[in-house]
Amino acid sequence: MSDSTLRFALVGNPNCGKTALFNSLTGARAKVANYAGVTVEKRIGRLTQLDRPAELIDLPGTYSLYVASPDEQVARRVLLGEMENEVRPDALIAVVDSTNLKLGLRLVLELKALGLPMILALNLADSAERRGIRINVEELSRRLDMPVVETVAVRQSGVAALNAAIRQAQHQPQRQATRIELPQRQEQVEALYARIDTLLCGCVSVPDHPPRWQETLDALVMHPVIGLILLATILLLIFQAVFAWASPVVDAIDGSVQWLSTTLTHLLPAGILQDFIVNGVLAGCGSVLVFLPQIVILFAFILALEDSGYLPRAAFLLDRLMRGVGLSGRSFIPLLSSFACAVPGIMATRSIADPKERLITIMVAPLMTCSARLPVYALVIAAFIPKHTVLGLFNLQGLTLFALYVAGILSAALVAWIMRRQHTSDDHFPLLLELPSYRWPNAYHFLLGLKERAWIFIRRVGTVILALSIVLWFLASFPYPPAAASAPAIDYSFAGMLGKFIQPVFAPLGFNWQMCVALIPAMAAREVTVSALATVYAVGGEAALGSTLAHSWPLPVALAYLAWFVYAPQCLSTIAVVKRETNSLKTTTAFIVYLFALAYLGALATHALAIAWS
Amino acid sequence: MSHLCDSKNTDTGLAPLHLLPRGARARIVEIAAQREFGAEDHQVTQRLKELGFLAGAQIKVIGFGLFGKDPIAVQINGTKFGLRRREAEKIMTQLLPV
Repeated sequence: MSDSTLRFALVGNPNCGKTALFNSLTGARAKVANYAGVTVEKRIGRLTQLDRPAELIDLPGTYSLYVASPDEQVARRVLLGEMENEVRPDALIAVVDSTNLKLGLRLVLELKALGLPMILALNLADSAERRGIRINVEELSRRLDMPVVETVAVRQSGVAALNAAIRQAQHQPQRQATRIELPQRQEQVEALYARIDTLLCGCVSVPDHPPRWQETLDALVMHPVIGLILLATILLLIFQAVFAWASPVVDAIDGSVQWLSTTLTHLLPAGILQDFIVNGVLAGCGSVLVFLPQIVILFAFILALEDSGYLPRAAFLLDRLMRGVGLSGRSFIPLLSSFACAVPGIMATRSIADPKERLITIMVAPLMTCSARLPVYALVIAAFIPKHTVLGLFNLQGLTLFALYVAGILSAALVAWIMRRQHTSDDHFPLLLELPSYRWPNAYHFLLGLKERAWIFIRRVGTVILALSIVLWFLASFPYPPAAASAPAIDYSFAGMLGKFIQPVFAPLGFNWQMCVALIPAMAAREVTVSALATVYAVGGEAALGSTLAHSWPLPVALAYLAWFVYAPQCLSTIAVVKRETNSLKTTTAFIVYLFALAYLGALATHALAIAWS
Repeated sequence: MSHLCDSKNTDTGLAPLHLLPRGARARIVEIAAQREFGAEDHQVTQRLKELGFLAGAQIKVIGFGLFGKDPIAVQINGTKFGLRRREAEKIMTQLLPV
């Protein structure tokens, strides 16, 4: 990066739309949602419309330069040039939520004292207008002595004007100092707010009451009884939808894969090529691809909830409950994200101020059932659990899935509770959670997010899962059995040897060697277990694989296999992110050991109990 | 819980935020010290003030977390915050008529 590069930084309160503006200005596609702390790491993009090379830094939100939680400190350190290997910004783009001017301007006045060139973006201008908030932009700009632009980042409105202001700002002389000292607090908070009142007086008018529907919604969401019912209904609905609504599409994809497989078997001459394409590539990838609809539905719910503003309220409602096990409402969003994938969930723990609570949250995050486990659960449940309707409303398969999720959550609670007892708490960190305004999920961001999640899944099928399927097919096909062989060919293959080699370790759990083979590639991605089983049993398609499993595994073993997947840290990327976030080999080792131990004991207990029961 | 506020009302009209019932409106009188925060009490006071919890500001109780009256959700200057009981205890208020 050359020294002539101009650096702009986006600064503002949490959840005022900095990242959405960042996306608009740089054409990036960083994640946006309606809660504080979505951005935990600074993010850099290029501004291409200027005369000289320029970059834009998106900083995590902060309320203040003076009092800061760990994720807020990132913003302060970057601004002051205290970050190593990081040149401080030359100019600031302060972002303020127009519906929440006072809080935003307080930070703006602190920033102004740094003496850097500044532009002010009054974001969410549309919401402010709908609420009847009127702002005299020119007058505010004169009083603040900086350019002020109204923007609606998610709709690109005002972004052109902001770009024009940035073009103006690029000709400001660049400062020489590499660091800035944070000026002493010049005035009491009371005096600062009094100054803001004077600033706003006569140039901003705010109606007395926020919109009625927001009030009504909060009265319901935070009602002691209705709120609880609402929360439980939303969570249960997600599990029902994942199973019930997805099945027509799942069947359609499964049918197509079957059809393709049969067609290719007829078209291609029998032999090694036909076997490779049909039983290696198609069976491997097809058996994972069928789970796409379920993953899309799960993410649809998560994205809509993230954008609506409900999540911080759920965190608020559950704070008391989570404190019972040594966590707090602040752990809720990282843990909920872990239902999609533990990797972003663990990264989101940076917004937790208390280091012990953060460590505990990281340790239990993988116990939240991630979307990669869904294919494995779905396969085994569909094969072994009958489709009975229970209580006239729920089907037994959906309930079993729900039970697996609950098992993960309860185990997490227990582990958190035990860990909290070891680390006696001196918890002085206040909860202080901002509850943002509700809003309709933005269709563009919703569809974009959904497309990205679906695409990531499809790309994994086309790369990791394809590659592993090919490797597995090779291991399962060679060497060929001797001419006079009596057992199935796979018994003589490398896969057979490997499975039989590790099987004794898993024998107490009832796992056969085929199940053991399937556990190995699951370290790269849990869903590969499904395609591995398809390859090892040489069947393609979900229905066909299911019925094969139903014939070859006793029920207690199938249940033990599910129990194993509830706990086992079978995902290298999660282990890598734990290492990165804790920066401790000891903690990472403890993380791996405790989860494998739980997996083994959990499967052992499930197997024994299921045998005793039947 | 509400009778507690009522009795306080008749004396001085003052009550800490955590004793106010759902839907109550009040004016903040001061941010008091809270021994439970120990050495960090000053920081917590500062943060509350920065978020707008200042003497004279109007505050409304919107609701409580599940299973009890802690945490507590309040609205101030058009922004909503969730606070723990310990923080709420620091905020001395004067109840306003409905």
